Amino acid sequence: MPRAAPPTDHIPRAQFEQDSARGELRCSGTWTLNHLAALEPALARLDMSGRAGWVLDAGGLAALDTAGAWLLHRTCERLRQLGATIELRGLRAGHAALLEMVAAQHAPAEPTPPHRSRLERVGRVAVEGVAQLELFLSFVGQSSVALLHSLAHPRRIRGHEFLHELQLAGFNALPITGLLSFLMGVVIAYQGATQLARYGANIFIADLVGLSMLRELAPLMTAVIIAGRSGSAYTAQIGTMVVTEEVDALRTIGIAPLDLLVLPKLLALMIALPLLTVYSDVMGVIGGMVIAKTHLAVNPADFLDRFEKAVSLSSYMIGVGKAPVFAALIALIGCHQGFQVGGSADDVGRQTTVSVVQSIFLVIVVDALFSVVFSWLNI
Amino acid sequence: MSDANRETVIEVRDVCTRFGTAVVHDRVSFSVRRGEVFAVAGASGCGKSTLLRELIMLHQPDSGALRVLGEDVLRLDEEGAERLRRRWGVMFERGALFSAYTVLENVGAPLHEHTRLSSELIDEIARLKIALVGLPASAAAKYPNELSGGMRKRAALARTLALDPELVFLDEPSAGLDPLSAGGLDELIRRLRDLLGLTMMVISHDLDLLWRVADRVAILGEGRVLGVGTMEELSHVDHPLVHEYFYGARGRAAREQACSQK
Repeated sequence: MPRAAPPTDHIPRAQFEQDSARGELRCSGTWTLNHLAALEPALARLDMSGRAGWVLDAGGLAALDTAGAWLLHRTCERLRQLGATIELRGLRAGHAALLEMVAAQHAPAEPTPPHRSRLERVGRVAVEGVAQLELFLSFVGQSSVALLHSLAHPRRIRGHEFLHELQLAGFNALPITGLLSFLMGVVIAYQGATQLARYGANIFIADLVGLSMLRELAPLMTAVIIAGRSGSAYTAQIGTMVVTEEVDALRTIGIAPLDLLVLPKLLALMIALPLLTVYSDVMGVIGGMVIAKTHLAVNPADFLDRFEKAVSLSSYMIGVGKAPVFAALIALIGCHQGFQVGGSADDVGRQTTVSVVQSIFLVIVVDALFSVVFSWLNI
Repeated sequence: MSDANRETVIEVRDVCTRFGTAVVHDRVSFSVRRGEVFAVAGASGCGKSTLLRELIMLHQPDSGALRVLGEDVLRLDEEGAERLRRRWGVMFERGALFSAYTVLENVGAPLHEHTRLSSELIDEIARLKIALVGLPASAAAKYPNELSGGMRKRAALARTLALDPELVFLDEPSAGLDPLSAGGLDELIRRLRDLLGLTMMVISHDLDLLWRVADRVAILGEGRVLGVGTMEELSHVDHPLVHEYFYGARGRAAREQACSQK
């Protein structure tokens, strides 16, 4: 529906004129927020040389709002600081009251904090990093104590929350973990197929897929998926609860946030992640079997026969055994970062990012450490 | 202040709102005139805040007509809506300050968005607004979560006033404040109205505010407007819910206090 344009044409724009010969400054038009942008440069160019006494004629002001009044006040103040005297003339009563109010609120800007040198900033970042590490270690300590305590008194474990977390982190993650593991098995087998076929070593596809999936890829990839999926959720949930003071409310009711928010997640993830890893093993091997059949003419029966000989129980156990460690890392980092949220929506986003980056980073570092340790032990 | 010839700024006509089967508004009608502080009162859950959300285009009523500043709110294109939004300010119940910005940046945000003024001038205007609502200059550099509840409300009010709106909607301005802060805010609302010539629509069930600040009050209840008028006029309305409002223990105390001050 066409609408009549607002009648802006006949409204006089905000104007400011300087008549140096007569010592007059004239303000006219609508000095309101929408029109002030045009005034700023004119006021900045004001040249007061050669005259000490000025008359400011505001008789032509059609409208004035607080922003306009501030600009007027600021101009007068600046002139006074330069040693000129200003006489206001023709100001309407309403505008005068507004100007008076603005003048009364005159607030000097707070001094900006001094600039920090680069060295100081580096130092601050380092100190903060150490403090963060200390905080995390103390959180790990508190959680361990609480975990041992609740294992000694199993009744204190919150069954409902625990099962809920188990479903969220474990059962609900089955489709995505399964699909990605299957594809990972397909990719490994596919890459290996050409090389193995060249040497006629088709059957060794079972060694390739079995060992790489069970020992390394399934636990690592499942942990990375869960860090992105559940670790971030833990941080966001606890962080939002911190912002809305729900965590404080829990404390005042006498429920330890660790008991309600951290332990169920920690326990649930430490059970869910090994199970997901086994599931991922199975799906990855199935993916490998599909490629073995289609590209290398290795029957599933032959594949499994070879698989049994190639993959020792210890390889499987090493893979699954790493999972609870990864789970503890992911859950503890996720929860810890949640509690680090300061109180703004921005913080929730920042800590969630930190949580995911840290947990994936640490999962890979710990996996590397495991490899080193196992090679020392010759397993 | 009861000049009936003054321009109508808000007109609510036969507004009906339902959430599922629950009827919130059943033909609600009233109008607000330029330059008055108009309060909408009523018990919790009577649809005060929903009415506010309908007026500021955050919610569509099921039927009825809403006109704000001469524009038909329900049939406004995006451009018209944008123009209208610049002419009013809204203060939400919990302040809704942007938590990632300092108070100064919060107040300056609408100015940066809608004007072409220099950053320096915007900061000065923002500081002026911060001083105007009674916050100390040191509050400007703080983040919302470093402020007390009362200071946060004031900061929210400063942001509401950033663009020098003609019309200001205040949702529960004194909720969650101690009596002293609430009283200070009442004074502030009156003073700003007198100085800036604002029209204000206040959603509140704070009886002190209703007696001392509001020019006219509409009481909502049972989905309808139970009465509109000055508090004095409303105290003679014969409806159990309105009666409850005035002659409950707190109602009487607030009234006596207001009368003794006059």
